[in-house]
Amino acid sequence: MSDSSLAYGIYGLSYSYRNAATSKAALKEVQFEVEEGSFVALLGPNGSGKSTLLKLISGVLPLSRRQVEGQVRCKGEDLFRLHPGARACRLTYVPADLNVDFPLTAQEAVLMGRSNAVGSVFDRGGEADRKRVEWAMRECQCWELRERDLRELSSGERQLVALARALAYGAKNLLIDESLSRMDLHHQAILGSLLKRLCLENRYSIILVAHDWNLATEWADHCVLLRDGQVLAHGRCEEVLTSSRLEQLYPNAPVYISKHPETGKPRVYFYQR
Amino acid sequence: MSAPNRSPYFWMILGLLLGGASFFLALQVGSVPDADWEIIRDLRLPRALLAAGVGMGLAIAGATLQSVFSNPLCEPYTLGISSGAALGSVLGASLGLELNFAGLALPAFVGAVAVTVILFLVSFRSGTTTLSLLLVGVMLSFLGSSLVAVWMALADSNGIQGAMVWLMGTLSRARIEGAVFTLVGALFWGLMIWRRWREMDALLLGEEGAASLGISVAPARRYLILVSSFLVGLCVSGGGMIGFVGLMIPHFLRRKVGSLHFFLIPACGIWGATSLVLADTLARTLLRPYDLPVGVVTALVGAPAFVFLLLGESRYRVGGAS
Repeated sequence: MSDSSLAYGIYGLSYSYRNAATSKAALKEVQFEVEEGSFVALLGPNGSGKSTLLKLISGVLPLSRRQVEGQVRCKGEDLFRLHPGARACRLTYVPADLNVDFPLTAQEAVLMGRSNAVGSVFDRGGEADRKRVEWAMRECQCWELRERDLRELSSGERQLVALARALAYGAKNLLIDESLSRMDLHHQAILGSLLKRLCLENRYSIILVAHDWNLATEWADHCVLLRDGQVLAHGRCEEVLTSSRLEQLYPNAPVYISKHPETGKPRVYFYQR
Repeated sequence: MSAPNRSPYFWMILGLLLGGASFFLALQVGSVPDADWEIIRDLRLPRALLAAGVGMGLAIAGATLQSVFSNPLCEPYTLGISSGAALGSVLGASLGLELNFAGLALPAFVGAVAVTVILFLVSFRSGTTTLSLLLVGVMLSFLGSSLVAVWMALADSNGIQGAMVWLMGTLSRARIEGAVFTLVGALFWGLMIWRRWREMDALLLGEEGAASLGISVAPARRYLILVSSFLVGLCVSGGGMIGFVGLMIPHFLRRKVGSLHFFLIPACGIWGATSLVLADTLARTLLRPYDLPVGVVTALVGAPAFVFLLLGESRYRVGGAS
């Protein structure tokens, strides 16, 4: 693997919350690399640090140098030395929901992803930006919702809008936090295929946090397993997801692993003994 | 980009036309039926200019605070910032800090900032709901108002009358220099807020929503809150505590021009000025020859509107989520 196909890498990343009552670190020595065009599923129990990791490397978590150790390198740059805004352009976090208390249409929310590119105060985005917004919203199946107020949409529909906003923003490294969780099966399938296509054709690289393992492994080719802020395993999904690892992760839940009859992707089933 | 049923420019132009008309009306009517030019020049003109400046400032500050705290019920009056500014003004006046043009704007600003700092600390503590922020604001407002009353009663036996001026809000003390100062100041600080429309737009989607677009949330919030405090200090030192302009005008305009601040802030400036000129004209003429405090007029309309807003928001209902 040549170095140029590397999208970014996380090296020895440790992080602790500032006001933590316990001195327990939220992340400990996290280390893995993400290649261009790869689709990574970030899996682990609740509280294992998945969201913290995504928010930390995308600049969403405000931080001071003494809370964090290690590096995130993207194309030769140390991201923690960049302004949070510059970090967000390189690694874009897609929140699980868009909460808004004011009248705002879906299209206005997505256009924000464009108009926030630095420009003069009078620059509200040109024709190219509008085209990009339309493309992103059509791809994410939410163009029909463009005139609707965000507050009236279902949480699944808002997740479509959140993804469209990230696509419109233009970064090629997406960090998606549970964004498919509230969509119906049909939209999950469409959006999953869209993300997969972006990876394969446009060299996007995606980290997806999902609690539905089978959904995540359907599209992801790599897996990172987190436990207590540490990487338990990472690599190809079928290598990572073994019954011994899962028993380590969830000691009280018997697990059965099989393969999808057609795609050969791993399938994980928990059952009652 | 706005939905086709919203035309921001239409609403801004309509506001300007209405504003011009109400300004003209404000010069025409009053306790004296056929006023000569001297009365208009020395009494009505400064008062209308002051009303325009104060209304503009309060509406812009209200819209900004709502976006910063992600809470549609925020405004300088309900958050207690106005009462902080009033307390600052009163203390400043007794310390002889009144300046030629600026009046008591400086001590009023100090009082406003003191309250916003408290609100800031309260609201970004973990576990603070929007409702508790409002309740803290209302309590700060009571506290500030009571301190104003105590201070003025102590200062002089007739002082309690003067306290009413600050607490009810009135534009009757308008002088031409102070009115021009307030109007120009409101325009300037309004512009200082408007230029950050991108950050305010992003903040509509909450902290994470803004940060994921590369906005540095904490510095943007600090800037917007500080400039809003400047505006509130300016307005309160000019006209006392006038409530609900900062609540109703932004709320009305968000429905008409949308929540994008590129349009919302200028529209709030225009409509805020227009509405307060109109409200003050009403205050002067309703019970002629008595001069009602303009804060009474805005509260008579605004307080019921606030209750309707509160009840309309399902999440503030008892038993509702968060």
